[in-house]
Amino acid sequence: MPCSNFDPLFTRRDFLTRAGGGFGALALSHLLSGTSLGAAIADKNPLAPKKPHFMPKAKSVIFLFMEGGPSHIDSFDPKPLLNKLAGQKIPESFGKVITAMGEFNSPLLASKRQWKQHGQGGLWISDWLPHTAECADDIAVVRSCVADGINHSTGVCQMNTGSILAGRPSLGSWVNYGLGSENQNLPSFVVMQDNPASVVNGPRNWGSGFMPAVYQGTRIESGSEPIQFLHNPDGITAEQQRGKLDFLKTLNSHHAESRLNSELEARIASYELAFRMQAEAPDAVDISKETEDTRSLYGMDRKETAKFGGMCLLARRLVERGVRFVQLYSGAGSKWDAHSKIESNHGKLFGETDRPVAGLLRDLKQRGLLDETLVVWGGEFGRTPMSEKGDGRDHNPTGFTMWMAGGGVKGGQTIGATDELGLRAVEDRLHVHDFHATILYLLGIENLKLTYRYKGRPENPTLNEGEAYRKIAG
Amino acid sequence: MRLSFLILLLPFAACAAGNDGDAFFREKVRPILSEQCFKCHSHEANKVKGGLVLDSRQGILTGGDTGPAAVPGDPEKSLLIKAIRYEDDDLKMPPNKGDGKKLPDASIAILTEWIKLGAAWPDEPKGQKMTARPRGVITDEDRKWWAIQPMAKPAPPKLGAHPIDSFILEKLNAAGLKPAPPAAPEQLARRIYFDLIGLPPTPEQTIRFTQAAKADSARAVAELTDELLASPRYGERWARHWLDVARYAESDGYRADEYRPTAWHYRDYVVRAFNSDKPYDRFVQEQLAGDELWPGDADATTATGFLRHGSYEYNNRDVVEQWTTILNELTDVTGDVFLGLGMQCARCHDHKFDPILQKDYFRLRAFFAPLSWVDDRDAATAAQREEYAAKLKTWEEKTTDIRAQIEAIEQPARERSRKSAIEKFPEDVQAMMLKPDGTRTPYEQQLHELAFRQVYFEWARLLTHVKGDDKDRLVRLQKELSAFDADKPLPLPLVPSAADVGPVAPPIRVPKRDSLGDIEPGFPTILDETPAKLTPLTNSTGRRSALAKWLTNPENPLSARVIVNRAWQYHFGHGLAANASDFGKLGDIPSHPELLDWLARRFVADGWSLKKLHRLIVTSATYQQAAAGTQVATAAKAAATIDPENKLFWRYPTRRLDAEQVRDAILATTGELDLDQTGPSAGADKPRRTIYTKIMRNTRDSLLDVFDMPEGFQSTAQRNSTTTSTQALTLFNGTWILARAKALAARVIRESSSDEAERAATAMRVAWGREPSRDEITGARKFIAAQSALIDAREPEMKPVTLNTDKMPFREGRGVVLTSGSMERLVMKNSPSFPDGDFTIEAFIVLNSLYPDSQVRTIASHWDGSKAHPGWTFGVTGKQSRYKPRTLVLLLNGQGTLGKDSEAVFSALNLEVGKPYYVAASVHLADRHDGITFYAKDLSNDDLPVQIVTVAHNTVAGIRGDGDFTLGARGTKGHVWDGIIDDVRLSRVALPAEALLLNSGQQLHEATVGYWKFESSSGIYSDSSPRGNNIEARIAQSKPADPRAAAFVDFCHVLLNSNEFLYLD
Repeated sequence: MPCSNFDPLFTRRDFLTRAGGGFGALALSHLLSGTSLGAAIADKNPLAPKKPHFMPKAKSVIFLFMEGGPSHIDSFDPKPLLNKLAGQKIPESFGKVITAMGEFNSPLLASKRQWKQHGQGGLWISDWLPHTAECADDIAVVRSCVADGINHSTGVCQMNTGSILAGRPSLGSWVNYGLGSENQNLPSFVVMQDNPASVVNGPRNWGSGFMPAVYQGTRIESGSEPIQFLHNPDGITAEQQRGKLDFLKTLNSHHAESRLNSELEARIASYELAFRMQAEAPDAVDISKETEDTRSLYGMDRKETAKFGGMCLLARRLVERGVRFVQLYSGAGSKWDAHSKIESNHGKLFGETDRPVAGLLRDLKQRGLLDETLVVWGGEFGRTPMSEKGDGRDHNPTGFTMWMAGGGVKGGQTIGATDELGLRAVEDRLHVHDFHATILYLLGIENLKLTYRYKGRPENPTLNEGEAYRKIAG
Repeated sequence: MRLSFLILLLPFAACAAGNDGDAFFREKVRPILSEQCFKCHSHEANKVKGGLVLDSRQGILTGGDTGPAAVPGDPEKSLLIKAIRYEDDDLKMPPNKGDGKKLPDASIAILTEWIKLGAAWPDEPKGQKMTARPRGVITDEDRKWWAIQPMAKPAPPKLGAHPIDSFILEKLNAAGLKPAPPAAPEQLARRIYFDLIGLPPTPEQTIRFTQAAKADSARAVAELTDELLASPRYGERWARHWLDVARYAESDGYRADEYRPTAWHYRDYVVRAFNSDKPYDRFVQEQLAGDELWPGDADATTATGFLRHGSYEYNNRDVVEQWTTILNELTDVTGDVFLGLGMQCARCHDHKFDPILQKDYFRLRAFFAPLSWVDDRDAATAAQREEYAAKLKTWEEKTTDIRAQIEAIEQPARERSRKSAIEKFPEDVQAMMLKPDGTRTPYEQQLHELAFRQVYFEWARLLTHVKGDDKDRLVRLQKELSAFDADKPLPLPLVPSAADVGPVAPPIRVPKRDSLGDIEPGFPTILDETPAKLTPLTNSTGRRSALAKWLTNPENPLSARVIVNRAWQYHFGHGLAANASDFGKLGDIPSHPELLDWLARRFVADGWSLKKLHRLIVTSATYQQAAAGTQVATAAKAAATIDPENKLFWRYPTRRLDAEQVRDAILATTGELDLDQTGPSAGADKPRRTIYTKIMRNTRDSLLDVFDMPEGFQSTAQRNSTTTSTQALTLFNGTWILARAKALAARVIRESSSDEAERAATAMRVAWGREPSRDEITGARKFIAAQSALIDAREPEMKPVTLNTDKMPFREGRGVVLTSGSMERLVMKNSPSFPDGDFTIEAFIVLNSLYPDSQVRTIASHWDGSKAHPGWTFGVTGKQSRYKPRTLVLLLNGQGTLGKDSEAVFSALNLEVGKPYYVAASVHLADRHDGITFYAKDLSNDDLPVQIVTVAHNTVAGIRGDGDFTLGARGTKGHVWDGIIDDVRLSRVALPAEALLLNSGQQLHEATVGYWKFESSSGIYSDSSPRGNNIEARIAQSKPADPRAAAFVDFCHVLLNSNEFLYLD
C-alpha cells in the first residue's frame, strides 16, 4: 500500500525553508480537508497558494460594498410603472412581503431619475452614475438578486457569509482558505471603510467564523499605520526592537528543539513575517507615489470623492501586489439606508462613489489587471418601491441589483429581472448563495467542493446550496 | 420514565435481497463498502489511499495504483475480492491493524456475488453523494453505529496499575509503541495547575510540589489534584469550557448587539456548579428544565439561561421567521451539547451520513415548541423576596402621589409608542397582538411575547416619546421621586430564564411534509421511535423534563460518553472520539472505545462527578507522560509512521495556552491578577480573571481574539490554535502587553534582590515555572547589557508621556483612556484662537463611572476651576448632583445679564455608563434666547435618534479663561473623566445641527479651533486643524529612563512573548 502522505514530525527546518517563513499553523487535518485543491496542500503554511478546482478567470476580487442597501430602482433597474402608479398603494397582484419598518402599505414613491441606455450592450443606468455609465460595456448587471434578511444585521451578515445567522466564515475567508495568498508579506484579505463608524455587526463581517483566524480579513487604513500595532511602540527604537526580536528568536528556537509541535516553528516565523509586513505594508498603502493623473482618475482631487477614491486606488495597489480579496465599504454604518430623504442621501453617496468606481475600472483596464480582477458592486439588499416617511424607501431583499465587472465577466449584459415595480426578482433569480457561487466559479472554485471540516462535518461556503451563474462569463 | 433501548436488541428485518439488483446494492453492498472501505477509498476520505476510490462504479473499474479493482462478472479476477479474502499477503483489505480486520464471510460473499452479477451501481438521485443514505430508512448498517450501542462493561486489561493506563498500554503494545517517560515534576506542576485551574503555579508552589514528588510522586500528584479541585479557581477554569459549548455571550449579537446586563448570573451558576461538583445529570436537568423540575429554586431558574443564550434581533418585524430561527438554534445546540449529534443537518432533509431522520430533528425541536422567555424571575431566596416586598411597599406608599403624576404623563406616551411599535408588524401579527390576553392560542401567545419585546424597547426610552412641557415636568417629577431612593429596595437579581407558554404546546410540523402530521416530541428514531412520555404540569407541558430525564438516564448511550469525551479532550488536547460534539459517521470511530465506555460507566457510577473523573485522569501515568525531551524525541521516531498524530497517547502533547489562560497567566505573572469572584462582568482593561470579563459578540477584545476565543454564536466543541502575524503584532507592539511587561519588571524588582542575575532568574522562574539554567541566566544578562547599551546610546526624545488608547466601541480607530485618579492631563496651551463668545464643543465618549459625590466627569474645560476666574467646562454630573445624575452639563463662569455669573446649564440628557456616545453643546452665548443646544447620540444603536435639547441660560459674555484648555479634567482641579475620549472638536461658532461632526463629513471648517483624533496615524496628540493646537500630555515627565531598568522591561516583555510562556508541556 502506498504510504500515507503525512509529513513526519521532524521537518521543522524543512518547513521553515519551504514555507518561506510560514504564516501559521493549524491541525493538518484542517488543511487536508481542503479536498482536491492541488499539491500545495501538503505544505503546512495555510496561506500558501493553492491550485483552484479548475482554470480560474479571476485571480482576485474587489468587493465594493454599499452598506445600508442602495436603491436598485433608482440606479440600474428602471421601472416606468412605478412613476405611473406613484402615490397609490401597491396593487394586490404584486403579493405581500414583510418589510423592516412595516411600510408595505405606504404609497409607491416615484423615481426622480433620468434614465438612458449606455454602451454597446445598452445597459440602463440612471443619471446618478454618469461615470459608471461610461464603463457600461465592462459591467454585467444582475437585476434579480435575492437575499433572506430583512434587516441590516442579517442582510450584511448573509452578503458576507452566506448565512443570516452569525458564526460562519466570510466569503473572503473561504477564498483565502481555498486559494491561499500570492503575497505572504501582506494580509491576503483586506477590508477598508470610508468613515470611522462601525460597519453593521462589526469585524465579524470579515471574520473567519469557525475556521482558524489565519483566514480572517484585516482592517487597513490609509495613513502611516495601516494595520493595528504595526508600528514599533512609542519610545522603542528600531534597534531596540530588533534586539528584542533576536533574543526572542533565540529563546524560542532553543525551546522548539526538544519539542514536537510544528506550531512552535510557525510562531517563530510569524514574528519575522509580522516585521516584513511592517516594511511592506506602509509602502503598499503609500498612494503618494501615484501620478497626479492617476489620482485624479479616481477623483482624489475632489473633496467629495477623495476618500472613496483613495480607497479604490489602494485596492488596485493591493491586488497588484497579490492580495486576494479586498473589500471596500462605502457608507460604513448603514449610511445608504435611506428610510427618508433618499434624494439627498443617495445623491450624496453616489456622488462620492461613482467617479472612484469608474476610475478603478478604467485604471485596472489600462494596466491589464481587469481581466484577472473581479470587481463586485452592491449592498446587502435594495429598496422598496413603496415610500417611507414620504421621501424614503424601506429595505428590499426580495429583488435587488448587484453588478460584476472584470475577472472574466462578459460586460454590457443585463441578467435577470424584477417585476414591474422592482419588488421581487422574477427572472433568473440569483440568491446570495448563487451569487457567491458565481464569484467562486470565476475564481476557479466549485462552491460545493470547497469544504472545511467543522465539528466533524464538511461545511462549504454556500451552505450546501447555490449554483454559479456561468453565463455571466459569456 | 420507561426507556425503550430494547429496540436496539431487536434484529432488523432485512429487506429481501437477491435478484433485485438495486435493492441488493442499496441494502447489502453499499453498506459494506461504505462502512469498511470509504474511510480510505472515497471522495469523502481525508486521504485517498492508493489512488483508489470505491464510491462509484467508474472508480472501481478505473481502480487505483495497482489497477482496476473489479472485473464485472469475474470475482476471481477482481483485486477487490482478492484483497478482502486476504489471499495475497501484500494486499489485505481492510488492513489487519488498528481496528481493521478481515471482513466476515457473509460480507465477502455479498461483494463476490455483486461482482459476479456485474457490479451494478444504480443511479443515485441527482445532487446526492454516493454515500448518502436512503430517505426515511434506518438500515442494518445504521444500527451498527458505535455511538448508539449500549455502553459496554469492559474490564481493564491487566497491564498497568491504573485502569486508564491499562487500556492505553493495550493499544500501544498492539501498535508496537512505548509510552513516553514521566514528565519532570516542574513540567507536571505547570501542566496540572494550568489544566485544573487555568493559572500557572507560583515558583513556591512549584518547589513545594517538586519536593513532595521526589519523596512520593503518586501521592504528590494526588494531593495537588485534590487541593486544586477544591480551589475556587477550578470552577473558573472548567466553567469556561462549558461556556464554550453553551455558546455563552453577554450581548444580542445583531446590529445593536445590546449588552445583556444580567447574563452573568448564568456564568456564576456554572462556576458554582463546577466548584460544588454538582452531579452532571442534575446540571443537565437544571439547564434544560430547571423551571419544571425545581420551580422557585434560584440555581434551577438561573440554569435555564442556557435556553436564552442564542442571539436575538431586537427590531425584527418578521417574528414568525425569528421564532423559527430561535427554536432551530436551540435544537441545534441541544444536539451538539448533550447528544453529540449534528442534528442541524437533519433540519432540511434526513442526515446524509448518519441515521438521523428529518422527522427526528422536529421531534427534538418539539421539546422546545412551547418555550417562552421569562425575564422577571429572580434568583433570590424567600427571605430576600420578603424583605424586598416589604421595603417596596413602604416606598410605594410614600411615593403614591408622585408616581400617579408621573403615570399621568407616561401612560399616554406609552400608549402612543405601543401603537406605533405594533403598526410596524405584518397584519397577521398585529391581529395576534391586539387580541385580549387569554384569548390567544399558545403559538399566538409566543409570537405576541416575542413581538411585544419591541414595545418594551420603546417603553424603556419613554422620555424620547414625551415632548414639550410634559418633558420638563416629567424630568422634574423623576427628580422628586429620586429623593425617595433611599427607601427603595435594591432590585432583586432578575435572571434571563425560560418556561413553557402554558400546559398546551403549539403544534409543530415538518415544513412541506404535512403528511407526517403534527410532530410529537421524541428522541432520535434509531434510539427510541415511540413519542416521549410526558407528565404535564399545571402551567407547563413537561416536555423539557422528559428530554432532560431521557438524557440523564444512566443507560443513555450518548450522554455520559459525550461529557466524558469532552473532559478527556480538555485534559489531553484531543478526545477519545475525535469530534466532541459529533459522534457521527464522518468522524473517526473512537481510538479507545473500551476506555471510553469504561470511563463513562465509571463516571455514572461515581454519581456523575466530574471532579472524580479529573482525579482519575490526572493520577494516570498516561496523563503524566513527558511532552518534551530526548526520550520523547526517540519515541517519536518510532511513532512517526505508526501514529504521528498521537492518537494512541504515547506522549503528552505540547499545546498552546488558550485565550483565557494566556491573559490570566500574564496577569498572574505580573502579580496584577484580581481574584474577585462572581458578579457583573468587567471590561477587559480591568485585571479580573478573563471569565469575568464582558463578552460582546460583535466587539471583541483584540488579545482574546487573536488567541482564538470563540465568538459565542455557535456551540464550540474544540478551539482553534492559530498563529498569525496579527497575534505577533498584538503581543509585541500592543499597549496592553507593554504595560504588563513593565508591571512584571516592577514586581520582580520589588520581590527579588538587587542582583541583576537574580532578577533575571526570578523573572524566568515566574514566567516559565522552572529553574533557569546557568546558560540561560548568562544569556539574559548579555541581552540586558546589550539592550541597555542600545537604549543608552539613544538620542534623548522629547516625546510626551504615553497615554493608553483603546478601541472606541462602535467606531473605528482609537480613543484615549483616562481613569479616575490618573495624573495625566491632556492640555493645550492657551491660545488666542480659543473661543470667547459662541462656541461648540463636540466629543465621542464612553463614561465608565460617575463620581459618587457631586463632582462632574469632565470631557473638556477651559477653566482653572476657580470661581473668581472666567471659563467653562463640559461634562457629566455625579451621583449626588443637585439636578440629576448622569446628565450632560455645561458650567459657565462669565458675565451674566445682571453682572458676574456662575451657572450650571443642565441638558436633561442622561447618559448611560459604559455606552459609547457622541455628545455636543452648541452655545449661542450673547443671544441667550437661542440658548445652548445639547446633543447626545447612543452610538451602539443606529436606530435611536439623536437626542436634542435646547436650554436657556443667563451668561452672555466673558467666558474665556486665561489658563490652559484641558481635556478629561477641570484644569488641575480634578473632576477627572473615567473612560474613553475619542475625537474632540472645538469650534468658535455655535454650529447648526447639520455642521456637527455627527452629521457632516466635513471635519474641518473655518471656525475649527482644534480637532483632536487620538489616532497614531495622525499623531495621538496632534491637532488635525491647521491651528496647530497640539496637546501636551503634562504629566511630570519621567526622567530619562534608567537604561538598565528599561532593558529589564524589554527582557520581561520578551519572556511574555516566549513560546515557553505561551505553550504547555
